[in-house]
This record gives sequence, structure tokens and C-alpha cells, in this order.
Amino acid sequence: MNRLERLLNLVAALLDAGRPLSRAEIQRRVPGYGEGKSARRAFERDKDALRAMGIPVVLEPLDREHAELGEGYRIPPEQYRLPDPHLAPDELAALHLAASTVRLGAGGSHGPGDAGTAIWKLGGATGQADSTALVAALPGSEHLPVLFGALGEQRTVRFGYRGAGRVVDPHSLRYTGGHWYVIGHDHDRGEVRNFRLDRIDAAPVPGPASSFERPTGTPAPAPAPWRMGDEDEVEARLLVDADQAAWAEARAGDGAVRERRADGSVVLALAVTNRAALRTFVLGFLDHAEVLGPPDLRAEMLAWLDALGAA
Amino acid sequence: MSPVTPADQRLGRLLAMVPWVAGQDGPTIEDVCSRFGCTEEEVVADLGLLFLCGVHPFTPDTLIDSAVEDGRVWIRFADWFTRPLRLTPAEGLALVAAGATLLAVPGTDPEGPLARGLAKVAAVLGVDPDEAVGVELGAAPPDVLAALQRASADRHQVEIDYYSFGRDAWARRVIDPHQVFNAAGQWYVAGWCHRAGADRVFRIDRTRSASVLGTSFEPRPAAAQPPTFSPRPGDPVVVLDLGPEARWVAEEYPVESAEELADGGRRVRLRVSERAWLERLLLRLGPSARVVEGDPAVVAAAALRVAARYRANEGPK
Repeated sequence: MNRLERLLNLVAALLDAGRPLSRAEIQRRVPGYGEGKSARRAFERDKDALRAMGIPVVLEPLDREHAELGEGYRIPPEQYRLPDPHLAPDELAALHLAASTVRLGAGGSHGPGDAGTAIWKLGGATGQADSTALVAALPGSEHLPVLFGALGEQRTVRFGYRGAGRVVDPHSLRYTGGHWYVIGHDHDRGEVRNFRLDRIDAAPVPGPASSFERPTGTPAPAPAPWRMGDEDEVEARLLVDADQAAWAEARAGDGAVRERRADGSVVLALAVTNRAALRTFVLGFLDHAEVLGPPDLRAEMLAWLDALGAA
Repeated sequence: MSPVTPADQRLGRLLAMVPWVAGQDGPTIEDVCSRFGCTEEEVVADLGLLFLCGVHPFTPDTLIDSAVEDGRVWIRFADWFTRPLRLTPAEGLALVAAGATLLAVPGTDPEGPLARGLAKVAAVLGVDPDEAVGVELGAAPPDVLAALQRASADRHQVEIDYYSFGRDAWARRVIDPHQVFNAAGQWYVAGWCHRAGADRVFRIDRTRSASVLGTSFEPRPAAAQPPTFSPRPGDPVVVLDLGPEARWVAEEYPVESAEELADGGRRVRLRVSERAWLERLLLRLGPSARVVEGDPAVVAAAALRVAARYRANEGPK
């Protein structure tokens, strides 16, 4: 008996029954299990394989009035079936193009990958299948799927972050500056915070579904590094030489330019709540940029340089 | 996602393929193969298997019916498999992230088929398409990025004015732009550099102009992986002792080795070809890094040079 055939029959049986089936009943109804201990082992292995694929094999009392009769398995059709998104052919083709030109994580060279199997479920690969040159590679994170599932079902998550426990209502996942972040309401701090996924040191554990209200309105863009801190806000003024001005402007964002000088240099104004991150940004220009003010920030910068220069 | 065996993967494909074929009026085998990434033999084998599947008592009315005729495929009475299995969180995330990424590529129609398809998938997953996953691919001069994308697609050489971060200098060079791609939140163009006489990878945000030339180049097969930035073996070695707060350096940069230190820090060994690159790293790390092997004067010299700029510009601004 082919194992694949047995698995297919098992899925059909559990979807079709309309009530939980005991293990004995399953072994009678689905050919290929044999008898005794090996039958039990084979069923356990099949059940685990189905669950690993995301098939909702649930365990329920055989009879709600009589718990002593034991429990059985079924697959609730409404939990199994993908609602039809009614994709137009060009929409499916566009999603397929995205799935084949964007890589998330290290990416296996074999097998279709998660985006590929998602495309199968939506009707399969169509369109420009030959145009699979990589357009973008994003790092993966083992925490992404669980956080994505949690934000879809509004589940509060608990995780460890830089050695401390956090309780967060996840609102969105953001990829910016080459890193993934989860943005959400931090219960202990009482405000919306960003957490970099590669700094999560204890895996997120989701709580019950529908445990918070999803915020409305468009989210603010992910903040620049020098905004990712909780120091008192200060407006830094930064002079950048002409050669580096365009790059600096792009990094600083719209509206940061305070002055354009005749020699092509620019003065940028940045709202800073993380001085260390600002220092890193400014030092990236080496001697092509300097902090003009406020005076204490400029003095801090110079003191940092003098300490290194004296070493 | 948990590791799956080939049999599990085949089951996954079958559970997606059966509802699709059953919903069509005899699609061609070729169509089925290209949609579900399999060979004709595999499709025929799968259909033979389906023929034996159904539910108890396995009488003809409780079995799936499948047939191949004249290169077309039919599946009937697969009542349990009228819809595919829901997307797993990993599949949903992978698809939504891929869609959001491609939408973030300049030039993609924000109201085109991708955006519409993504919104429909997000609705099925119960997430807000604009909110759930946001992707920012990093700044690049739009005209330069567009010129490089066009030159790469049309196989035209291009002259760029490029700032070398490592050497802290601008230079013009002619390149064959083989591939324009985004990695680690930055836009890059990879290709043959005629100035260096070698393959090089350039950051597009450090390219201030790109002029498409009339000369064309021979394309190469597109790489599915981004070119990696590997230091050359002959580059000088620098060994740094990092404090606990600077441990991240070992994860963020290609270090040759990293060992734990008693104070919770790390000792890392790097190959550094470009002085300016090392200057930036050491200026940034400050007291968190100590040069154990290599020129210890690099950071002091750089710090004095930058500090001199501040001293030269003292006074009201």
C-alpha cells in the first residue's frame, strides 16, 4: 500500500465523516494501516505529517454527552478550505512573478518554497515563468510566520527581547534598512514600539485569538535609526559636503534640508532620540560631514573623536 | 516550516492540483505541469493514484474518477477536495512579503494586477494589505536606478559615476550591468567593470549618474542568488577585541573567525582591503573595539582628521 494513497484517503475520511472518528474506526475505514502496534505508529506518523503541512486535524470527544467514550479525530472542512480569493488571471500571474523574483531567507535550491506552494493553492504558476531573475533578497526569520499568523488573528504575543520578557499586540511587520521589525503595542510600556526580529532571544508565543483591536489608519513609516530610542528629543543640524549630499538627503528623508549652500553642501535637520545612532550616521561620512549644533551635541561628537585620537 | 519528505510535498501538490483540475473542463497536461511544477509522468502517476482514492466503503460512487485522454486531464467526484488547503502562516507571509517587496520596487504600478491580487489574498488571510507587511528597499536616485534597470534589460553598457566607500573617492567607470537587485535593504548593480577588468558589485545609492551607452554586451544567465561580498584572501588581516555591546559586528560583517572572550565580548578576525571601511567601523565602535592585530594607528589618525574639520570650523554657524 502506497503511503501517499493512504494519506489521501485519510484526509478524505477525516474531512468527510462529519464527526470525530476513533483511531480504531480510522484504521477500519482507511486501508493500509494493518493491525496492532505498527498500525498505531503508522497513524501517529501520518497525523503528524498532516499537521506539519498545516492540515487542521483536531481531537474532539466522540460524544459530547459521554466523555468516557474517548476522543476521535476529524478535519473541520471550514478550517481546511481556502476561501476563494477570486483572483483574475493577471493577478495570479503577478503574484507568481513576485514569488519567483523575490527571495525570503536563505531559500532552498530544491522544492517550491513557501511562496511557491502558496501559488499552487491559488491556482498554480502562470505568466512569465521564465523571468525568474532575482529582483530582491530579504533575510528570513524563524519568527516571521508566527508573528504574521498572530497579527492576522489579533493574538497578543510574548517573547524575549534583549534578555527581557515583552508582551506585545503585533500591528505590522516592517522590513527597513535590511532588517525585519515587528511594530506593536507594548503592554508594559503602554505605547507602540519597534522590535528587531534578529534581537528576539526567546521565540514569540501567541495567546488567544481576537485579544486586541487592530489599530486603524495608515501606519507611520518606519523611523530612521536616530529616531529609534527613548532619549529626550533634540534637533541636530548636520552639514554634509557636496559630494555626499545626495546620499545624505536620501537617508534623512523629505523635509530635512534646512539650507543649500553655494558650494553644493547641505545643512540637514534631524530629530534625534538616539544619539549613538546619529553618531554612527555622521561618522559614516568621515571628514565629509559635521554636526553643527546644538552645541552640546557638537561637543559630544568632538569629545568622542578626541578620545579616539588620543588612544 | 517543518521539514517535509518528498511524499509530503507530493501530497501538498496533489491537494492543490486536484481542486484546480476538477474545477476546469479538461485542461491540457502541459498546462497542469507548468502550473504545478511537475513532469507529465508525475501527473499521470498522480492521476493513477487518485483513481484508488475515496472514502469507505470504496464503492464506485465513493471513489475519485480521473482520466487522461488526448493530452487532456479530467478529475471528477473529488467532493472532499473541492477547495485547496488554507495557506499556512509561513506561506501567507512568504507570498504577502514577496508581493509587498515587488510593489516597493520603483516602477511597479501601485494599482496594477499585483496590488489587486495582493489585496485579495490579504483579505482571505484576514490581514490589512497596507498594514500587515511593509517593505522599504532603501533609497536610490530614481533616475539612476531606472537607467540601470533599462540598460540591464536592453543589454547596454553604461557609464557610472561611483563613490567607492572603501577608498572614499569618486570615479567614472564603464560597466556591463548584468543584474540589478536589492539585498539587505540596498540596491545593487552587479556586472563586469571595464576599469577594474573584473566582476564588481556597486551600490546604486552611491552612484550619482548613469549614462546608457550605445554599445551592447553579451548577457549571462541570470543568477538566482545575489552575488556575495567576499573579501579577497590576500587582503590584510585585522583582529579586533569587541566589548559585549559590540558583539553584533560578528553577525553583521563577513568575519573569518569569532571567538568568545571572558568578559562576554568577542575576538573577531576580518580581512580588510579598504582603509576607509575600517576607519568607519572603528570610529563607530569607539571604546567598544580594540585593535589586537593590524595597524592600531588607523582609528586615531581618522579621529584626528575628522576632529580637525570641527576645529577648523569653530565659531558661529
